[in-house]
Amino acid sequence: MTERGKARLRVAALVVVAFLLQATVVSDLRIDEVAPDLLLVVAICAGLAGGARQGVLVGFMAGLLADLYLTETPVGLSALVLCIVGYGVGTLRENVLPEGWLLTPALAMVATGGGVALFVAVGDIVGQTQLVAMGRSGLVRIAVIEAVWSGVLAVPVSWLFSKAAQGSAGAATLDRGRQDRTSIR
Amino acid sequence: MAVYRRSNRTRTLLVVLVLVAITLVTVDARSSGSGLLSRLRSDVHDGLSPLQRATHHALQPIGDFISGATSYGSLKAENQRLRQEIAGMVATNVNAAAAQQEADRIMAAAHLPFLGQIPNLQARVIDRGSSNFQNTFTIDKGSADGLVTGQPVVAAGAAGTTGGLVGALGSVFRRTATVDLLTDPNFVVGVALSQGNTGTAEGIGAGSPLRVSVISTSVATPPKMAKGEAVSTSGLQLEMFPPGIPVGTIASVATTQGSQEPTMTLQPLVDLSQLDIVTVELWSPQTGP
Repeated sequence: MTERGKARLRVAALVVVAFLLQATVVSDLRIDEVAPDLLLVVAICAGLAGGARQGVLVGFMAGLLADLYLTETPVGLSALVLCIVGYGVGTLRENVLPEGWLLTPALAMVATGGGVALFVAVGDIVGQTQLVAMGRSGLVRIAVIEAVWSGVLAVPVSWLFSKAAQGSAGAATLDRGRQDRTSIR
Repeated sequence: MAVYRRSNRTRTLLVVLVLVAITLVTVDARSSGSGLLSRLRSDVHDGLSPLQRATHHALQPIGDFISGATSYGSLKAENQRLRQEIAGMVATNVNAAAAQQEADRIMAAAHLPFLGQIPNLQARVIDRGSSNFQNTFTIDKGSADGLVTGQPVVAAGAAGTTGGLVGALGSVFRRTATVDLLTDPNFVVGVALSQGNTGTAEGIGAGSPLRVSVISTSVATPPKMAKGEAVSTSGLQLEMFPPGIPVGTIASVATTQGSQEPTMTLQPLVDLSQLDIVTVELWSPQTGP
């Protein structure tokens, strides 16, 4: 198997493990009734480690798995939101953002806030009015606590993803970008 | 040029996947509970259930520790009480006591005072819901155990209280089922208020008390409820629940000017964040018990 194929398999395995953890352990970790969303963290970290293309693909896969486990929202809603989040993070990482130890948690927090807002907004549009029933203050509370969770979880998860994505096409592009920047400096 | 083409391809991929997702949302919304997607959902839930059973029991202490850290004050008092209790238990075999306690809790769940003659089944909570936008629990019993969507779920309260309504069965799979909690915004239950009035209580989200609206004023006097008063299900015809299940206590009453009916909120009797064993009432509005 080629190096790229192996990288793909490793990334896919990470997504499945994250899903299993979300359905078993993660839902018990709650601060003020709010649990982390590990699959959202996975979509963000995939974009960070492998760029936009990997962000889109992993986000869609992770979202679809999450949808199959949820029972109240329609299948496809999380997939839609997570692939857009993965794309957004990946594009930012490829084009704008420099590297730095603070980048991962900070971007994860911002992207989680955006992801939660997008999920509620798109859900409301397709008729899931229960998502907005708790009012603005309730939504902000969930978004903030979930963002904090993501900031913490993103550090180990993105480390795992950068290991797993080694050798993939996306990681190679990011690496090239890194060399360019260092040579300019 | 190569980079440009690459980012263009990624954008196409994004558009295609977004369209696929929208198609799935539409298909799932239209099939509403039947069809391939719900069968897939059912398989995913049944497939996960052994793993959830194993991990939830083993890892619950960690989750309890974290949620405990965020409610330190109330735990301090309870800690004091438990210390005294433990001092009394040291003499006895603690392990046997724990097993006995578990058995007692299941027995208590089967003999809740408000169950009456309705047959019931005890189940263990194996997952507390993986999304912050869906107030559901997963329990370890399913259609194979005779559960049907819509059946009421109740639980014993904290030590010394009778307990009350937890929610209703939402989706029932073969080996597991999800319980829609009464705090979920989709949840509505008819309740009996004072002086022959009835109303509905509806959830507005996890951690928030239920909103009560008065429906019929069967007598000329609007309901006068005091803070702390207990409210039970009304069990009127076509109601989803049998009468007499305690739902909660009145948390606040406010009368707005120009309105006859007070605005009330209802605090659930059961602590939803600490649920372990629940009781499903094998009851449906069509067939009764």
